[in-house]
Amino acid sequence: MRNLTTRLVILLMLALMIITGIYDYVRLGRERERLVEQTREDERIFAETLALAVSRNVRWGRTTAELKELLDDILARPGLVAVAIYAPDGQVVAETVSPGAAAPTLDDIVRDALASKEAVSALVSAESGRLLRYVQPFRWPGRQTGAIEVRQTLAGMEREFRRAVRENVLSRLVVLALFVLSVVALTRWSIARPIRALMAGAQAVGRGDLAQRIEVARRDEIGQLAEEFNRMATNLQMAHDELLHQAEERLRLEQEVHQAQKLVAVGMLAAEVAHEIGTPLNIISGRAEVLERVVPREHPERRHLDVILKQTERISGIIRALLDYTRPRRPSLRAEAIVPIVGRVADLLLERSRRRGVRLELDLPIGLPRVLADPDQLQQLFLNLLLNALDASPPGERVRVTTGPDPLLPAEGRAGIIRGKVEGPCLPIHVVDAGKGLTAEELDHVFEPFFSTKGRGQGTGLGLPIVEEIARAHRGEVEMLSIPGRGTEVIVRLPLAGSGPPDPGGRTRDSAAEAGAHGD
Amino acid sequence: MVDDDPEMRALLLDVLRNEGYEVVEAKDGTEAVLALRARTFDVILMDKNMPGPSGLDLLPGLRRVCPHSQIIMMTAFGDVASYMEAAEKGAVEYLFKPFRMEEMKAAIAKALGSSAESPA
Repeated sequence: MRNLTTRLVILLMLALMIITGIYDYVRLGRERERLVEQTREDERIFAETLALAVSRNVRWGRTTAELKELLDDILARPGLVAVAIYAPDGQVVAETVSPGAAAPTLDDIVRDALASKEAVSALVSAESGRLLRYVQPFRWPGRQTGAIEVRQTLAGMEREFRRAVRENVLSRLVVLALFVLSVVALTRWSIARPIRALMAGAQAVGRGDLAQRIEVARRDEIGQLAEEFNRMATNLQMAHDELLHQAEERLRLEQEVHQAQKLVAVGMLAAEVAHEIGTPLNIISGRAEVLERVVPREHPERRHLDVILKQTERISGIIRALLDYTRPRRPSLRAEAIVPIVGRVADLLLERSRRRGVRLELDLPIGLPRVLADPDQLQQLFLNLLLNALDASPPGERVRVTTGPDPLLPAEGRAGIIRGKVEGPCLPIHVVDAGKGLTAEELDHVFEPFFSTKGRGQGTGLGLPIVEEIARAHRGEVEMLSIPGRGTEVIVRLPLAGSGPPDPGGRTRDSAAEAGAHGD
Repeated sequence: MVDDDPEMRALLLDVLRNEGYEVVEAKDGTEAVLALRARTFDVILMDKNMPGPSGLDLLPGLRRVCPHSQIIMMTAFGDVASYMEAAEKGAVEYLFKPFRMEEMKAAIAKALGSSAESPA
């Protein structure tokens, strides 16, 4: 970034310096020539005037001393170094010389002027700097030609010129510095900053933050670049989301297929076991029943009989649940109110909850929208959930059944697992207990058949798998949240009647009206 | 009473005789057919799963040979498919093993009741 700006500035500076340098060199050279020319012109006019005056004085026969006096007065003119009057034979008749300057003598320039009777001008170098010499012939008495020479130094002019050059260079440098500053500021503002923003954006996207966008409020190339970048990031994000979605979908399908395969295998095994075990179990329970009739209730050993009967009943229960679980579930769905279903289950469990000292609270408002449900299956679902909740609760606690969009358990320390998938509007029913909760590790397994956290011999390990099966068959989902030591919450989300595929029973109209009425 | 399991037969014999019923046992389809040739029965209690022809296979033949006998089938629970088939083939009751003896008594009483009502 800095490199780009610096390079740009240096290049521009060099170009500017070269261009202005050449321009100034040419301009100042011309100026100098012009100054010399002007001085020469001044000297010419001065020499011509002087020649006229001297010519008159010579004709009037002034003496050399008088002529010198005249010349001495003239020497006061600034820049004048020497003035000399030459006789026709080239002899210096009178002269005046400023201190330190060389005295004029007859030389080729003077001879040239005397011979041609034309003014001669020359620029010569001397120790004190360049001299401008001007030799002006004039009429000498007796039809002869004399000459007057004026020597003027260019030192003053040179000095002036050098000062001008210095000032020029200085002003150029100031302009250049200002220019450089403004270029630096401009590039910082309009190139470096947006490019830095672009780079930050690209880095963020590179790190995987595909939601990164660059703010642009400009229509130039950088603005377009940023816009293009944002478009690219959006496309990337969409592609990424799509891939993720596909992967999730594939995983879900695989899980479902896996689950279905497992169900088929378990189902076959269960049917086999049920067949083989049915008869011996029946013989045991039958014999026990026979004994039950003859052994009086108050007999001290009667309890053994009761245990046998109870335990055969339990084996039957396990196999029945297993068969129940593996039996293909094709619920006949229709619009149903959820409250009566949950209410029936709660009635069924009233005695059990009283015995355990756990309060069962139904907190469901009137007018909940109807769901697409098979009442028998949903009854089974809530029975399993409430049984789990009651069994998990210590005496004195309560089990709540309620509704609402958000979990009741706080997010902190909460682990969760979700099975099935609900689409469109749904009704969530929460079953919350204050039991010892489950670890994230345990949650991972709760929906697997034969997994149980109850004591050995207490549960069938099929309660939650059946819940999942029923929820899935209702195109709903079941989510289980838990905080160890605090409790567990199960949320069953069931699609609303009228939101799912068209009901062949034609019941959608009134159920939709019901849902709408609730929405108010 | 037709069942391939001797213990099951022994149990049912004990319980039913105790109830005052006259019971003849058979261990498979062949024995059952032999017994049916000898006399008629009010109720036939038959297991579905037996070696040789199953209870379901025997059902149509029994219905033909002794149309007045009420047939009660026994099978392992969960076997809904055979329940449907048995009902179609003319069984009047269905008992899922393991069943309570009370259940069986009730089923037999019901079958006898309907047999008494049906025009002989």
